[in-house]
Formats: sequence, C-alpha cells, structure tokens
Amino acid sequence: MTQQKNIIRTSFMLLLIILQQTAIKAQQTVVDSSVLDRITELEKQVSYKKSGEEHFLVVGVATMGFAAYKTTNTIGGIASTSKTNSFPDADNFEFSPMLLWRHGSKFLMEFEPSFNNNGLSVNWADVSYFAAPGLIIRAGYFVLPFGTYAKREAAGWIDKLATDPMGIADMTPTDYGVEVEGGLPLGNMKMNYDLALTNGNQLNPDGTLTNGNIVDNNNNKTVTGRLGLLPFSNSSLEIGVSGMFGKVGDQGALVQNTSGNLYAFDLNYVKTLSPILLNIKSQYNIQNIGNVNYLNPADSSTYTFNNHTSSFFAQCSIRPVGAEGFLKNLELAGRYTTFNTPSNSTFGANQHSVTIGLDYWLNWRSVFKITYDSYTNNSTASKNLGAFTGTTNINTFYLQFSIQL
Amino acid sequence: MKRPKFKNISLLIATAFSIFIVVSLIDSCKVSQQVAAKSGAQLWAENCQRCHNTPSPSTFSAEQWETIGLHMQTRALITDDERKKIVDFLKQ
Repeated sequence: MTQQKNIIRTSFMLLLIILQQTAIKAQQTVVDSSVLDRITELEKQVSYKKSGEEHFLVVGVATMGFAAYKTTNTIGGIASTSKTNSFPDADNFEFSPMLLWRHGSKFLMEFEPSFNNNGLSVNWADVSYFAAPGLIIRAGYFVLPFGTYAKREAAGWIDKLATDPMGIADMTPTDYGVEVEGGLPLGNMKMNYDLALTNGNQLNPDGTLTNGNIVDNNNNKTVTGRLGLLPFSNSSLEIGVSGMFGKVGDQGALVQNTSGNLYAFDLNYVKTLSPILLNIKSQYNIQNIGNVNYLNPADSSTYTFNNHTSSFFAQCSIRPVGAEGFLKNLELAGRYTTFNTPSNSTFGANQHSVTIGLDYWLNWRSVFKITYDSYTNNSTASKNLGAFTGTTNINTFYLQFSIQL
Repeated sequence: MKRPKFKNISLLIATAFSIFIVVSLIDSCKVSQQVAAKSGAQLWAENCQRCHNTPSPSTFSAEQWETIGLHMQTRALITDDERKKIVDFLKQ
C-alpha cells in the first residue's frame, strides 16, 4: 500500500515538473519573440540613421523690422516734407531659408529661395564640386565674384547696419554660368581667386543694366574675376581687386557691340585690439558702359551721355568683447556711402548717406539693430530732358531684428 | 646686326625673370611652419570673424558641420587645410 502511494506521489511530482517546464518554456518562447522583434526594429532604425553619403541641411536668414521716413524735396529753394512709416520695413524684410545638400565630401548643392520686397525670388541655386585642394568648380545661378559685400556681408545677421550700402550690391549681379574659385596658402600669407563665365548684364534702352537673365541677349559671355590677398598670417586683413568685362547690347541691335566694363576694390580688416573688436570694411565700384544713343522714356527721343557710375562705402564698427555682461553684446557701427549715377542722363544723381547704428547681439547669430540713416540726393539729371533737378533728403529710423536660421 | 643680339639677350633675361617669378610663386604656395602649426580653434577664431561672429560649436551636429564647412569655404575661400581643421574643432 505504502509502495503504491509512493508511486502515485512520484508520478504526481513528475507530472507537476513536466507541466512547470512546459509553462516556463512557453513563457520563454513569448519573451524571446518580443526581444527578437525589438532587435529587428532597432536594426531597422540604426540602418535608417547611418551616416550615408547624402546630407541635407536647412539654414538661412530671416530679417524683419520697422522704418520711419522723413522726406524733404527741395526744388528752386522751395521745400516740401512728408513723413511715412512701414511695418515691416518694406526694403529690408527677408525670409530666406537656404537648403544645402552635401553628397559625400565633393559635391555641395545650394538653393536659397527668398520672400522679400520683390515677392518670391531665388538668391542662388548652384552645384559646387570640390575638385582638388584650392579648386572649387561651380555651375548654376550664383552671386558673381565682384567685390565681397554681396557674396559675404549682405545677410541681415552679418551686416552691422539695417541697410545695404547703396549701389554696392546693386552692381553685383547674380547670374547663370560656371565658376572656378579657391583659397591657396602663400607662405605666411594667403590668396584667393574667383573666376566666372556667365550670360552677363543686359543693356536697357535708357542706359541702365539688368542682370540674372536666363537667356543671353547676345553670343558674348561676360568674364568676372576677383583676386584677394591676405598679407598677414592672422588673416586680419584682406584686400581684393575685381573686374567684369563683357558686351551688354542686344544681338543684331545698333548697340550690339556696346561693352560694360566694371571694376571693384575691396578691403576687410577685422582685429581684436583688446578689449575692442575692430571691424573695418570698404568697397569701391566703377561701372563704365559705352556712350551710345539712349532712350529718353519721357518722349521716346534718343540722346547720349557719359554712362559712368560709381559707388563707395567705408564702414567701421567696434564691439567691447573684453567687457562683461550686457556691454559685451553691444556693437556700435558707422558707415559713409556715395553713389553717383551718370550726370546729364534722365537718372543722374550724386547721392551720399551717413548711417550710424547700435546693435545688441542676442547670441552669435541673432541681432537687434537700431539704425539711423541720413540720405541726400543732389540731382545731376538733364533739365532739358525734363528730369527732376532738385535735392532730396531722407532721414530714416530703423528697428530691425535678424537671425540666421 | 647688333640690335637683334641685344633683343635676344633681353628676351633671354625676360624669360629667365619670368621663370624665376613663376618658380618663386609656386614655391611660396605652401604653408609656412607658423601657419601650419595653427590649431583648429585658432583658425576658427581668426577666420570666421572676418565676416560674422564666431559660431558656437554646439549649434550644429558633426555631420552638419561638415556641410557648413563646405558652404563656408565657397564664401570665405579659406584653404582646404583651414576648413578641415576648423570643422574638426567644431565637431568636438
């Protein structure tokens, strides 16, 4: 009887063990399956996030503000004054996200659409190939290497003042073509070069130029080049000389052989003279177009004039980088600008402006600016052509915020 | 008969002078020891502020700095060595 009981007990124990093992095994199977699923999912995520060859990045700039104008026109000793304001400042509003694609380490595509006072436009759209040390080849729609302001200093979060120096960026076209550029060591010095072949400017009937034309108006391509030299080993000073040469007249027109020859000289000096960061920038542009017969838009008659334009600016800013707290983020800037358009034309004028500003840097790439600009326009246009021949003064107060996106 | 000889000598001198200038320029197109010894941090401080404030390294990821470095090289025309050193510094 006792032996029978032992057999039953042992059998029952064995049954319990078998059931327990089965349950544990079943549980283990469930756990293993979920872990495997999770591992598979993670592997997918890792595979998706691996560095790869293509990299996409959105940066850009946003600039907005307010401007209050006081305009005084004086003709024959009689002055009239008007006051206007705009919110945001119509000439200095910009929202421009810049899209950058990098393929490996050799290709870079740049595309910057821009919403500004001209509506929706494109600042540049190009492809760069980093062919060799000191050699970048670019094709597409890009800012020409004429001076340095338009290509390097015009963005709202870089410019110390709320306005562009008149005539400087206007004479630097963005154009369609190809470009080679690079920076090279030169012992303790450095040099850089930039050479572009593009469709070129086009001559308007009134003697002004347009640029950025996707279809060329003649078979002549425009050559634009700049040479820059940084004579000091600390790169504090850069001086540059630029030229732009090409025919601007329409193919088959009387003005088809008319040339536009432009020159620019630029200077950039940035140095920390403790406790101050000193920043000096300057550029001088010259534009000569052939003296042919131009159209007077007032009565469609033709006339001629010396089609010479020049512009110049010199800007200085100081920032107390050695100070502490609030003061360290302030920057004081001043600029003098001249812009002279052809005298005895319908749009001739000697213009100059004095601009001062105080900036507060919220961080390295966002700034709040207070700028005051005093602008004077002495007309040199021809009275005989019925143009305005008086003087215009515009005093403008700007508040502006700009950020690099 | 003497003038052509003088012309030939002048041509020879001009050619030799041109070769000397070209060789000197090519030879000088290398980095001096003082410049080669500069760190990425020093180049970052010297070159970025030529146009704008020096950027914070924390602004972009390592991969993004590679892209920004190429974009900046097309604008400021820094040398390849400068770009590589500056980007390496900003990626740290």
